[in-house]
Amino acid sequence: MTERVGVAVRIGARNLTRRFGGVLANDCVDFSVAPRTIHAVVGGNGAGKSTLMRILQGVDAPDEGTVILDDQPVRLAGPWDAFARGVGMVHQEFMLAPPLSLLENLILAREPVTFGGLIDRRQAEGEAHRVAALAGVTVDWRLKAADAPIPMRQMLEILRLLYRGADVLILDEPTSVLAPSQINDLLALMRKLKAEGRTIVFISHKLEEVLNVADAITVMRSGRVVATTTAAQTSVGELARAMVGEAVDAAQVKPRRRPSGAPLFSARGLVGADAMGFKRLGPVDLDVFSGEIVGIAGVGGNGQDELVACASGLASPVAGTIAVGGRDLTGSPTSRFRAAGVGYVSADRGEEGLCLTAAIRDNFVAGREREPAFSHFGLLRRGAIDAEAQRALMRLSVRFGALSDPAASLSGGNQQRLALARELDREPKLLVAAQPTRGVDIAGTTFIHRLIAAFRDRGGAVLLVSESLDEILALSDRIVCLYRGRLVGEIGRAEAGVERVGRMMLGQETAA
Amino acid sequence: MSARMFDGVRRVAGAAAPFALAVVIGGVILAATGYEPVEVYRLMIEEAFGGEGRIAATLSEATPLLLTGLAAAIAFRAGVFNVGAEGCFYLGGIVAAFAGYKLPDWPGALIVPFALASASIVGGAWLVAPGLLRARLGVDEVVTTLMLNFIAIDLTTWLVNGPLLARGSANSATPFITPAAELPRVLPGGTLNLGFVLSLALVIAYGFWSRFAVGGVRTRLVGLNPRFSRAVGIELPRVFLGVMVASGAIGGLAGGIHALGLVHRFVAGFSPGYGFTGIAIALLARNSATGVTIASVLFGALSSAGANIQLFSNVPIEIVEILKGAVMIFAVAQFGFGSMKRGSPP
Amino acid sequence: MIDLFIHAALLTTTPILLAAIGGFVNRVGGLVNLGLESMMLAGALVAVQVSSATGSAALATAAAAAVGALVGLAMTLIVTRLNANEIIVGLGFTVAVAGLARFILKSVYGVWGIYNPPDVAMLPRLDIPIVDAIPVLGAVVSQLDPLTWLAWALVPAVAFALSNTRFGLRLRATGAAEATVRSVGLAPLTIRDGSTVFAGALSGLAGAHLSIGIVGLFSEGITGGRGFIALAAFYFGRTSAFRTALGALLFGAFDAAQIRLQGRGVPAEIVQTLPYIIVIVVLSGLGLADRRAARQRA
Repeated sequence: MTERVGVAVRIGARNLTRRFGGVLANDCVDFSVAPRTIHAVVGGNGAGKSTLMRILQGVDAPDEGTVILDDQPVRLAGPWDAFARGVGMVHQEFMLAPPLSLLENLILAREPVTFGGLIDRRQAEGEAHRVAALAGVTVDWRLKAADAPIPMRQMLEILRLLYRGADVLILDEPTSVLAPSQINDLLALMRKLKAEGRTIVFISHKLEEVLNVADAITVMRSGRVVATTTAAQTSVGELARAMVGEAVDAAQVKPRRRPSGAPLFSARGLVGADAMGFKRLGPVDLDVFSGEIVGIAGVGGNGQDELVACASGLASPVAGTIAVGGRDLTGSPTSRFRAAGVGYVSADRGEEGLCLTAAIRDNFVAGREREPAFSHFGLLRRGAIDAEAQRALMRLSVRFGALSDPAASLSGGNQQRLALARELDREPKLLVAAQPTRGVDIAGTTFIHRLIAAFRDRGGAVLLVSESLDEILALSDRIVCLYRGRLVGEIGRAEAGVERVGRMMLGQETAA
Repeated sequence: MSARMFDGVRRVAGAAAPFALAVVIGGVILAATGYEPVEVYRLMIEEAFGGEGRIAATLSEATPLLLTGLAAAIAFRAGVFNVGAEGCFYLGGIVAAFAGYKLPDWPGALIVPFALASASIVGGAWLVAPGLLRARLGVDEVVTTLMLNFIAIDLTTWLVNGPLLARGSANSATPFITPAAELPRVLPGGTLNLGFVLSLALVIAYGFWSRFAVGGVRTRLVGLNPRFSRAVGIELPRVFLGVMVASGAIGGLAGGIHALGLVHRFVAGFSPGYGFTGIAIALLARNSATGVTIASVLFGALSSAGANIQLFSNVPIEIVEILKGAVMIFAVAQFGFGSMKRGSPP
Repeated sequence: MIDLFIHAALLTTTPILLAAIGGFVNRVGGLVNLGLESMMLAGALVAVQVSSATGSAALATAAAAAVGALVGLAMTLIVTRLNANEIIVGLGFTVAVAGLARFILKSVYGVWGIYNPPDVAMLPRLDIPIVDAIPVLGAVVSQLDPLTWLAWALVPAVAFALSNTRFGLRLRATGAAEATVRSVGLAPLTIRDGSTVFAGALSGLAGAHLSIGIVGLFSEGITGGRGFIALAAFYFGRTSAFRTALGALLFGAFDAAQIRLQGRGVPAEIVQTLPYIIVIVVLSGLGLADRRAARQRA
């Protein structure tokens, strides 16, 4: 490691802007990390953290502005260039080759070789033990990456950066995959590396950790840097408010008392796993009654995706039961959930909520094409479909050219209205709404909130899952927090406030 | 409106580019071996489309391609990469030929539908296994259907060399079908037969189905975005299995029509790769009925011209195979900025 | 009797094994090569041409490897740089190169189907002193050509190189995790291209073995689908060079058996389907195992 005397900014960005289509992922971002510090970057999903980090690591390039290294503006030609300048990153999805051993993963691209390209195992092992000792860990180097436990894989990524001589380590949400005791180990390692003179950029949702370990903190929201502060000057509450923004009063929907009777949606002992088969949710019990909106608050990655997948019938629970309208639907295909009256607004509008390359008409009728109103002996009733689509889209004031235009031709807010139009026009009994206003502007958000409230007022049940506290507070009749896969605490809207729910979703307050 | 026109132009250009590139490569090969490329191509166009008889020959060559192209298209549109039409073609051919010579007492009005239906059923049944494997276990259908092609070809070759070999025949072939089972000729003198009309009708029906039928919308949505389709309640395994079987049935029917309409029996080496050409056709056509029709006629023209230019100008017929292969290769290439990847070392 | 059969089986295995090793390495690097047949065919033709022109089997072999590598390079560039589907490109090469070979026979040599020039130097058959004298074993290993020895020597060599050399490590990483390889600053596509060129060179050698190792001429059907049998062999072998070789040997033995069983009531065509059936069975088994594993984890 070279001594950097008098360098003020080891790594940073100046006036950096990056657009994807019409979306500003990074908007004039200024960011500076002093050498030998731990600098945390916090923000919700879509705040622009990952884009910024990808640019700092040379994986992506900015449209405007520059990356700063050692006080100098630089243009990174690729990740190898960043590596050469001492910058390395541990990605959220691990960059390891699963069938290779941990040792092989460590040395990949910087293999010590003898003649003929033969790998010098002894030297490789020596180096491996050296970096492991540096980090104070023991590693079974012969283990395949696929068989290594998650914390070990993460450790390997950090060791790889050390092996390659990186002195700036970018860690992208490293604690989201760790258990509490492992988190403490990681934080200790970060302090150790800092003490050795390395610089760490630490991305996290979890504010206590950030306050615990970081020297400086940058808060991002909607592609912008909204606050830069130090651990000493701030608190969890302040950071949480900066992350989620101030509550917008105008958008409030009137809460309702919980209706009586049997619950429409009822989950018991529900356990959900992600696509890899790892448990992320539960066991949880949850009821949703007709005529109420239940808001699930929480920081992303605490089991929301699994809850949504189970409730909408997209994934079968690992354990537990789901009933809708008194009928047990556990393990049924999505089509049976929909037949039982479940509607679903996906958080991933572009990939799951809509088929962007298909016509607006097809997006509207998708999944309903077999209904007698829309087809006759297997033939589509195009007239009826178009009339109904026109009517439904008008009602939701969707602005579109022609029904035959692809859904991609609509603006983001109108796309979401189209998805909602499809789901609400079916007149479901339960609407599972995941991040229903993500990427939608304020006017659009208010409109969508009114739609959901009107659906409730007609007697519909709503399971609202949102990372936006504003949204939860504006819509929900009842608020439940999801923290580390468990439902913690339940309060009515009247008792809820930003501070209180914010604490609950961070696991600091468990009972109502 | 202009945006849609631009889109249309782009699609036509996208489909024409592989042909253009193949023609250039073929031209280079022709020039290198001492032929006059422009002259050869001019002759080919003349031989494919110059006069009623030549056009009929082209359409006759296009007949099996219409259906193998359709078989590929119907699977591809749902994102199922079935390359097994070739095997179904062989099986359909042998089944129809068998029915055609085993039932000499039946009237044509019965024997033809029976033989063709049997060919379709066997073709469809042949792909049930890879369909189920894909739908239930996620087994890659490309390799299984490719392997099934070779199995079907070996199996039918065995049948015509042994159990079904025509008595006294030197080459591996079944007996000729009864005249009643032959598909009637559309034009006197040529080989163009009712099979072309049937095939074209099926492609047109597919065109309507893909636009106006419930299944058409479903398969298209599944092909465009399986995750979305699942979320709106379309059951993917059923769609996967359905298109696989439909694709196999159409491939089998293609073989049946080829046997009853043109060859009038089944011989070893029954198909010069119609099933594989069908894949190229579907890719070029972007699975549309119009595209399948145009591409089939173009490939048919290549074949019918190839036979004649060899006769008249001494240019080997294989120039056609080279062009076909090249079209296939470039049909899937994405021209543009594919190689301009960031982040690779200099 | 059995020694003669084993000897024959070893010879029929050689082209399958060479192409299978190539295809195996290619697949380790992340590309399923359906164009092996075309590279084999090109190698077979060029071997005969060069052998006849120069009288040197060594030169002919080298030329066959070179032309196979060239076809491999063309194919890999279209797949990796133009983002084309490798399955279709492979099939397209099979069609186009078969056409090109026949086209050349007709237009350059004026022959149809079979090219049989004079003075084709054949691959030498090697005798091994001492071992030759041992009963059975002697008959099995004597009179094998150098490409057969090379093919079998390549099996452990490739297995060793994949696990112990820099290129082997990078190739395995490329096939398993392209994004990872890119993220550590390497160029996965170029690494993959290397493996396809290697597969092409070995397939070219396989073609040379067929033309100047066995028959001494080129015929349009000389490869007879062996490129696809090789595909079956490396699907059978999955991640192991040794299992791939076992598959190739098994399928080569089927091939030899099928020739001997002709006229004895066992239809050759039915024996020929075995490799393909075995691949489908293996894939189905793997699919079942995958599903069971996913269920157990959850």
